[in-house]
Amino acid sequence: SFWDWSLQGSGMCGCCVVLKPQLGDAQLATNNPTLTTVSLEKPFCMFDSSLYPNRSYTIYLYVMKESASAMSSLVTDDSNKPLGSTFQQTSRGQLRPYNAAFFDVPDCAVPPRLADVRSFVHASYVLKQYLFRVGDDGTCLYDPNFLGVCNPPLAPDTTYRFKYVLVDNSEGMVKDQTLWSDPIKTRRAKLPMKIDTCVLVFLLLTGFLASVFFAVMRSEDASAETKGTSPTVQQSESRPQLSSE
Amino acid sequence: MAKTENGVRIFQGLLILGNVVIGMCGIALTAECIYFVSDPHGLYPLLEATENDDIYAAAWIGIFVGFALLALSILGIVGVIKSNRTLLLVYIILMLITFAFEMASCITAATHRDFLTPNLFLKQMLEKYQKPEAGNNNDKWMSEGVTKTWDKLMLQNQCCGVNGPSDWQEYTSAFRTTYSDADFPWPHNCCVLDSQGHPINLDGCKLGVHGFFKSNGCYAAISGPMNRQAWGVAWFGFAILCWTFFVLLGTMFYWSRIEY
Repeated sequence: SFWDWSLQGSGMCGCCVVLKPQLGDAQLATNNPTLTTVSLEKPFCMFDSSLYPNRSYTIYLYVMKESASAMSSLVTDDSNKPLGSTFQQTSRGQLRPYNAAFFDVPDCAVPPRLADVRSFVHASYVLKQYLFRVGDDGTCLYDPNFLGVCNPPLAPDTTYRFKYVLVDNSEGMVKDQTLWSDPIKTRRAKLPMKIDTCVLVFLLLTGFLASVFFAVMRSEDASAETKGTSPTVQQSESRPQLSSE
Repeated sequence: MAKTENGVRIFQGLLILGNVVIGMCGIALTAECIYFVSDPHGLYPLLEATENDDIYAAAWIGIFVGFALLALSILGIVGVIKSNRTLLLVYIILMLITFAFEMASCITAATHRDFLTPNLFLKQMLEKYQKPEAGNNNDKWMSEGVTKTWDKLMLQNQCCGVNGPSDWQEYTSAFRTTYSDADFPWPHNCCVLDSQGHPINLDGCKLGVHGFFKSNGCYAAISGPMNRQAWGVAWFGFAILCWTFFVLLGTMFYWSRIEY
């Protein structure tokens, strides 16, 4: 996790070495992985033992579908140079790993302060320093002749594995590589048709009660007319008059 | 005989009082239903798109029933004071008709409240929000209404989706057909916006970093006003009907006692 390597960088912990790509901190990036993207932590302090001063290096990120066989999971050729297989060439990571991106080695000595994410000004900088988003850029898919390094959206509901490779710029040779990451699955989207909208229909007794009340009223009217001795009210313009008897 | 005359007077007084209360309740019912029909929260397009806006029909009936109750209560008061058999008969018949209409309105409002579930609005949002132009004019009209209403809801209530922004990730939607997941894991109105209406940090919003996106669902903002409307029309109507029932009973009894 992020905290493991930051402790390691400060020399306090010698045992928590993480040698494979990890998902970004779930407390920070809650929407990860999404349907077509996976945000990985950049390889802070993973290759420190292989870095020599005054030499420049680049980190290559390889992506492979888990369904690809173990035989084809090599990322280097015979002369230990990194394979340049692209997204299109490897059938979207189905046949072999493809190179999704390359970037500079993250600075182990000055890791990004995640607390700075709360500041709106620094948030973008911190996020870009800390995370790499696989599947971020779909524009290279629109050009059928594009043969360069491509980081297009991943397939939903598919398990992928990732690997970081350290390459020396002058020699062009692979100096170190992490293990393949744990399998990470992109999200699956359900169809809205499957959403159940049950409508509760219940019979209201009120209508039934109303009809009962009306039946009672009618019988009351009928019984009132048969009584001749009770006082009646005479129709008049002013005071009501009782029937004289 | 003076006692029975007093008894008659008291009974007349009670009927007049009953009719006064009916008249006032009629005014109140009309006012309440006009308030609901005016749609202060702007949620009518959502109901229209469910093709079942019966709680609005119930409110419309309530307006006219309220007027009818006011007019009939005046007729009733005049009829009781004059002890005119014809007037009271007209009153009773018209009151029964009004009673039936109000009963229909209340039952409609009460039963349709249970129709308004979260899943209903979720399905509607996923199928109609930002739906690209397709289908007939009616379809287009409903989709536009749903889109505008949702945009307004998300801006005013600082919320996203029905249960939360995860609705957009868990289900496919018409929105998803036009907007890619990489750029729009959820609509940009789900991001915390600045004063110009732009997300304050788009990367943070896309990644789901707290503080940059709205994590609440909008269901409370939809169901609150709609439930109040349904309950308001239904239960106030039922209360008026209960009172009217007893006044009608009394008037029928009084009518049967009038001598020609």
